[in-house]
Amino acid sequence: MADSKDFIAGVDSNAKKAPRRIVFITRRTSAQVKAETEDQIQTFPEVLFRATVVIEVLAVLLVWIALIFNAPLEGLADPSHTPNPAKAPWYFLGLQEMLHYFPPVVAGVLVPGLVVMALIVIPYFKVNIEAEGLFSKDREGRLRIFYIVAVLLSIFLVWFHVIVALVPTLIIVALMILAAQSSAQSPSGFRRYLAARPLSYWVMTWFLFELVVLTAVGTFFRGPGWSWIWPWQS
Amino acid sequence: MNAKLSTLWQSLFGNSVRAFGVVSVVFLCSLAIAPAKNHFSEWRHYQHGYLKMIRNRSEANTLQRHFQGGIQQIWLPDLGVVDRCTSCHVGLNEASLTDVATQPFRKHPVIPHKLDEFGCVICHRGQGAATTVAEAHNSTLAWEQPILPARYIESSCGECHRGALPGTPVLNEGRRLLARYGCVNCHTVKLADGTTMKATDDPPSLSHIADKTTREWIYAWLKDPQAYAATATMPNFKLSDDDARDMSAFLIANSTPVAGDSIALPAKPSSDPAAGTSLYGESFCASCHAVQNAAGNLVGGNVGPELTRVGNKVKPEWLSAWLRNPRTYDPGTAMPHYRFNDAQVATLSAFLQAKTDSDLLANVHLEAATPEQIAHGKRLVSDYGCASCHEIAGIKKPENFAPELSRIGSKPITQLLFLPGMPHTLPDYISGKIKQPRAFSPGLKMPQYTFTPGQVDALTTALLSLNDRSTTLPPSLTVPAVPESNYQPAGKAGKLMSDLACFSCHRINGHGGDMAPDLTWEGSSVQRAWLVSFLKNPGTLRPALIRRMPRFNLTDEETSELTDYMITVYQNPVIDRDSIPLSGYSAGEIELGRQLFYGKYSCQGCHILDSKNDKGYVGPTLTQVGSRLTAAWMYQWLKNPQSLRPGTIEPNRAMSDEDAQAITAFLMSQKGSTKKEVAKK
Amino acid sequence: MAKTVDQFFDEVRETRVWRSIFRSGTGSSTLHRALTIQQNVFLHLLSTKVRTRMLTFSATWYLGTLTLGTFLILVATGIPLMFYYHPSVPQAYADTKDLQFVVSSGLFLRNLHRWSAHAMVFLVFAHMFKVFYRGAYRTPREFNWVIGVVLLLVTLLLSYTGYLLPWDQLAFWAITVGSNIASAVPLIGNKIHFLLLGGNAVNANALLRFYVLHCMILPLTALLFVGVHFWRIRKDGGLYAHSSEPSIVPAQAGEKPTSRNSGETLRPGSGQAWGTPNPSKEAQ
Repeated sequence: MADSKDFIAGVDSNAKKAPRRIVFITRRTSAQVKAETEDQIQTFPEVLFRATVVIEVLAVLLVWIALIFNAPLEGLADPSHTPNPAKAPWYFLGLQEMLHYFPPVVAGVLVPGLVVMALIVIPYFKVNIEAEGLFSKDREGRLRIFYIVAVLLSIFLVWFHVIVALVPTLIIVALMILAAQSSAQSPSGFRRYLAARPLSYWVMTWFLFELVVLTAVGTFFRGPGWSWIWPWQS
Repeated sequence: MNAKLSTLWQSLFGNSVRAFGVVSVVFLCSLAIAPAKNHFSEWRHYQHGYLKMIRNRSEANTLQRHFQGGIQQIWLPDLGVVDRCTSCHVGLNEASLTDVATQPFRKHPVIPHKLDEFGCVICHRGQGAATTVAEAHNSTLAWEQPILPARYIESSCGECHRGALPGTPVLNEGRRLLARYGCVNCHTVKLADGTTMKATDDPPSLSHIADKTTREWIYAWLKDPQAYAATATMPNFKLSDDDARDMSAFLIANSTPVAGDSIALPAKPSSDPAAGTSLYGESFCASCHAVQNAAGNLVGGNVGPELTRVGNKVKPEWLSAWLRNPRTYDPGTAMPHYRFNDAQVATLSAFLQAKTDSDLLANVHLEAATPEQIAHGKRLVSDYGCASCHEIAGIKKPENFAPELSRIGSKPITQLLFLPGMPHTLPDYISGKIKQPRAFSPGLKMPQYTFTPGQVDALTTALLSLNDRSTTLPPSLTVPAVPESNYQPAGKAGKLMSDLACFSCHRINGHGGDMAPDLTWEGSSVQRAWLVSFLKNPGTLRPALIRRMPRFNLTDEETSELTDYMITVYQNPVIDRDSIPLSGYSAGEIELGRQLFYGKYSCQGCHILDSKNDKGYVGPTLTQVGSRLTAAWMYQWLKNPQSLRPGTIEPNRAMSDEDAQAITAFLMSQKGSTKKEVAKK
Repeated sequence: MAKTVDQFFDEVRETRVWRSIFRSGTGSSTLHRALTIQQNVFLHLLSTKVRTRMLTFSATWYLGTLTLGTFLILVATGIPLMFYYHPSVPQAYADTKDLQFVVSSGLFLRNLHRWSAHAMVFLVFAHMFKVFYRGAYRTPREFNWVIGVVLLLVTLLLSYTGYLLPWDQLAFWAITVGSNIASAVPLIGNKIHFLLLGGNAVNANALLRFYVLHCMILPLTALLFVGVHFWRIRKDGGLYAHSSEPSIVPAQAGEKPTSRNSGETLRPGSGQAWGTPNPSKEAQ
């Protein structure tokens, strides 16, 4: 290792540009990846069998569901009789719920477009790579930005009467405030966990929470004229 | 125990190969359930039951030979109907299975259509494509129309048959009621042939109502029409006292007088207390008007309004003018213009004025109307759509006032709001709406009718027949109704006929009422002398009937005008009225006819020829038929009655020419009793 | 008995026919096991080896595998369903009814297809979130994440196009509501709407279009991307495991440089160094 011509050694700790690695590359050999010493297993047969068993268990489950529950089928399509409410497939009901509040360009085009764009660019922006708590560095500055964003978002949602989306937002905001009050030294395990969550975690969790809540509301809580009903009323 | 379980777990899922094996077996077993489920399907169960049932029957072999296993279907491509009912209803066509107690194996009752050509759901509704009991009979998410309850079954006839059928009394009655009670004045009903259903209720104009009646009577009538006349067409709008007060105020204030519809009579009524009653009877007012007798039963016809309490309603001056000539007040009325003299008018008017009910207006005390009340009344009259039925000066007939009913029979259940506790089916909804329309929502305007349960069923039946299929059927598959013609006779005679309102009762060339005989071929069928004497003094041909032709007190000139017109114009093209002589038959021919009449054809079963011995009341009396009918008509009638009057119950006996000639000769010889009648008078 | 069965299978594997079909040969050596994966056109998309701890349920919840499972069920049930289906109005609805009432197990096929489709949409979402929370999209797996997003969209489109096919009220209005959103795109919204439906409203053209997309174009697209998705797992270093990124070290002297990534590495005869050679033994 003494000959500086034989290899270059370096430590790069900027995790945003590259994962933390120590690199030794001799000039005469090409770099190769050596497997870590942890246990590995041949894909055939063990992994294949396991995968097959998992798929079969799923298949058995679905077969029993299919035997017991009939797929929905309504009357012949009739353009002159609009059911009330006319609902999209369940996975689009989150979108349909948003259409209730926002103009179609926003709810139907802008939001899903942005979501898809955001999902695509996630890995390229190296989000979530630090795996550092959001408020572990520059706490004051970040808290200020967080409060501004949270208040603006809440005002925006209240302005458009999107109470359905406001509730999950407030819950996430409350958890983030709790996270800001916590640190790695907190006595409670849950608070230590929250303190270690990075920004990307919070954004994604907020998105997931909103997705689930909006979809559930659209599926179960919406009746004629997209009015609010309880599932047991129908 | 735990150890045992864990050993079991190990031996089943201990390694992935074993787990794979176990899970695969479970998976394959699960997959095998679907075909098994298929095998134990309901229709197979019923077919097994059928085979078991027929085994014990004497005609088992025949039934066994007819039986076809598997899913059966009747496919009607023209109607887009696939009908698999016969998969379970196996014995529908087996003549011997009428006595089977358990469905689904009983034979279908005899109907005019072949099951194989029409299937089941065309009439019974339900989901024909289904092969399970619940899906086929009930309302499901995928199929709204369950099996039609039997009492509405005639609605299905009405999908194709647009006219009245002899076999569908309920449907015919329902259609009649829709028009008769003015339902179609507010609710548009477009028929499949492109026309709109027309009301036949003939509601009076209210533009001149103040000439006819008082504000107090209008108030009482608006509050409860049935309190005045049990048979009133007008429904109860459940108006509040104030609303009825204001509406009556408006109607009186809005009324304009008509010249000549109120007269102070110069004559006094007859002093004979029975004169009114006898004039009322002689004029056959009861043919059209009903009056409640002491027992509370209505006596009389239902063409005109009930007269039980008419004295409470009409002003005496108006009534006199009306009796003298009803066309002054209402040019379009169905009431004939009787040619009463002033004394008769006075007598009849006094008789009618005495028909009062002291309770009716006893509690009605109205103060003079304020302009606000009149304005409010006008608004109410518009809001309740009074002008949909009645002509009211200054208020336009509203268009599309109530929901259109052209396809009510296919209305999706999801668009209906049911009352609590009501079965969620369309027939229940429709009949519920007819029975208690205001119960569905406090803001509704539909008034309360007083239909009997039978009438509600009939209306529901008629409404159910107005559905998607009936509107979209290809014309080749429908049996259109005979369209109502707007025939109007021309000239002087035509004017006279409309003045006498002949068409209120008689039908000519497809136009007019059905209370009295069709006169389309009257010119071919009767002798001129008889017609003249009948018009001057109508007797009756059917003594069993209450409704009779009234005497109009026609002048000789009017009588001969009318007679000439009818004899000349109402000719049947196949009958030459002068081709067979009216008299001069040989005695032998007449005797042969008598024998055939009493013997071979037993005509006396329905007709009375000899009023002492014959007991037939079904057909008209023939005692003076020889002076009434033409021989040519009689001959043709005997040969083929249906060719002259389609649908007549007179049977076609397929007589030979000789028989028909002989009976014609015999009947033409029956002229004698005319003299007796005259002598009696 | 067990012995004879094993022998029987061994004999079968030795036959010329078997050998001609399966190139990997026989034997239970690590080489043979690796060859089984490598020499099979389908299996070679997978890594030869997997980190043992990735087999635990909590690591992945097997969500990717389950999603593949639903896809296979959908293909298996979808093909027989196509036998009974005409994409025309109103025959499509009648066919759906006939599946329910007269086709043997037709209702079961349709149920299974329908529920599996819902399950697939759900599992794809679950898979995505699981991958995100594990951080398994990091370098060098960025592009595989993008392929995953594409597969998510393809799955949604598959489900959405299939939704119309029964041609009932549910289908018709769901598609009407959904496709109206496309009209909201600025400027070209109506054109997209027209292109999507083959008309200005959901009608027979839309049904045919959705049928072709659902049964032909989208499944092939999905298949293609699923293939790439699996292949990239292998090329990108196998299933991602936390804090166990492969380290780059110089090759040992005397050793031949092998392939770059662990999943592709093939070192015959040194099973011990690569983990448990015989999983079945271990399990016992």
